[in-house]
Amino acid sequence: MRTIFAITKKELTSYLTTPWAWVVFTGMAFVTSVFFVALLGSFKQAHEVASSVPGGWSQLPPDYQAFRNLTDGVVVTLWSTVLVLTLFVAPFLSMRLFAEERRNKTFELLMTTPIRPFEIVLGKYLGALGIITCTLGITIVFPLILALIGNSESGSALEWNTVLLGYGALLLWGATNMAIGMFISSLTESQMVAAFVSFAVALVWMLIRSIAPNADEPFRSVLAYLSFDGQLQNLIKGVLDLRPFVFFGSVIALCLLLTHRSIEAQRWT
Amino acid sequence: MAMIEVENLTKKYRDRVAIDALNFSIKEGQIVGFLGPNGAGKSTTMKILTGFMPPTAGKARVAGFDVFENPLEAKRRIGYLPETPPLYPELTVRGYLKFVAELKGLPRAKIKDELQRVAVGTGIVPELDRLTGTLSKGYRQRVGIAQAMLGEPALLILDEPTEGLDPRQRREVLELIKSLKGKHTVVLSTHILAEVKAICEQVLIIHRGKIVADDTMANITGGKDTGLEDKFIQLTAE
Repeated sequence: MRTIFAITKKELTSYLTTPWAWVVFTGMAFVTSVFFVALLGSFKQAHEVASSVPGGWSQLPPDYQAFRNLTDGVVVTLWSTVLVLTLFVAPFLSMRLFAEERRNKTFELLMTTPIRPFEIVLGKYLGALGIITCTLGITIVFPLILALIGNSESGSALEWNTVLLGYGALLLWGATNMAIGMFISSLTESQMVAAFVSFAVALVWMLIRSIAPNADEPFRSVLAYLSFDGQLQNLIKGVLDLRPFVFFGSVIALCLLLTHRSIEAQRWT
Repeated sequence: MAMIEVENLTKKYRDRVAIDALNFSIKEGQIVGFLGPNGAGKSTTMKILTGFMPPTAGKARVAGFDVFENPLEAKRRIGYLPETPPLYPELTVRGYLKFVAELKGLPRAKIKDELQRVAVGTGIVPELDRLTGTLSKGYRQRVGIAQAMLGEPALLILDEPTEGLDPRQRREVLELIKSLKGKHTVVLSTHILAEVKAICEQVLIIHRGKIVADDTMANITGGKDTGLEDKFIQLTAE
């Protein structure tokens, strides 16, 4: 146990003492802020239209309906954007996990100290989880701002259940991306290759959903099931759904297992 | 008691035979020079002894523990300096040594003293708070040796510990290794014969994956100044 945490601690130190994580944090904060401000603009506009039309909200097209409240109009939409952003940033965080050990020749150190390979994998993955949680953690500031300065005709400005379930979906997706990235990082010495391949895998996974409607059954159902946003749809909207936890949990477990096999296998070449 | 026992140790990389049925044993407390031309199989043997790499065939035991059947027990007794010191450039020397001490499972209360001990031993005390990435080659090597010494392993395996050092650093590192005599069994590989002559008691010469000499220093040199060179050149000729 202690060795696992020693590795986790070292991973987090490495992340936070090199510029990469800070670049990612800054990028994340900047892009999400832009989206947040834009969403607030649309929200305001929708409310102005609603108050100028006789009959109010009921007369507006469905596109506008989502903007009736801050939770659905701003936060849920923002979460969907962050979901896509995670796809872009996670590979940059996960790429160094094993690739760098090989380039620094420190992999030999890890493999010759009295620890088991699964401790290395778990320690590193916990570090990866820590850093992706920090990255996504930045975005929780937006609902907090809304809760502080927003107001509503009925009760609190935000529906926290919905907000937090959506946030849970984000973390789940981030954790999955880091697991995939870690496995790919264990296959190569080049961080750039690791980042690129991880990104490609996640991108294809995202695009599956857009192929699904054109496919025939039974492929359509299979593809729809496998697509990540299909899995996360309910959670993002604030409906508690346990299936994605099982689905992504299995993907994470599989990736950890593959990473373990991969670092074991490298010693045999 | 034999610290290292190797029987018929063989390693093939696809078709290329790196080491071919090695047999040797090393007694406790010795400083052993592991010599051979570049590419003779020195690093491969060391990687197998430290449990980094499995052999294709044969057995290796460290302090009585089979490196592959009982890897954790064997690894607890080995301090290893690979060819390139395995440093994390973003950690300070102190942070790095602490990390390795934790990996080796040293009791938390002992880590601080142990760190001080190896830092004094390797002369890196003034550099403890520098980032390992900014150290000179000589200091990187010393930190690598300090890392191997953590936890006082019975066996130290040093792969070319003086490679790339200037003459002064080289002498310092050799003095350091000499000072470990008695406390540790040391196996060091190098292709610089003068170094071996200065500090080793037993010499193993490996050529093209085979042991061509395994004897005490006195027997190999035969009392002559150039004895080791002559023997080396004669044994590693085509």
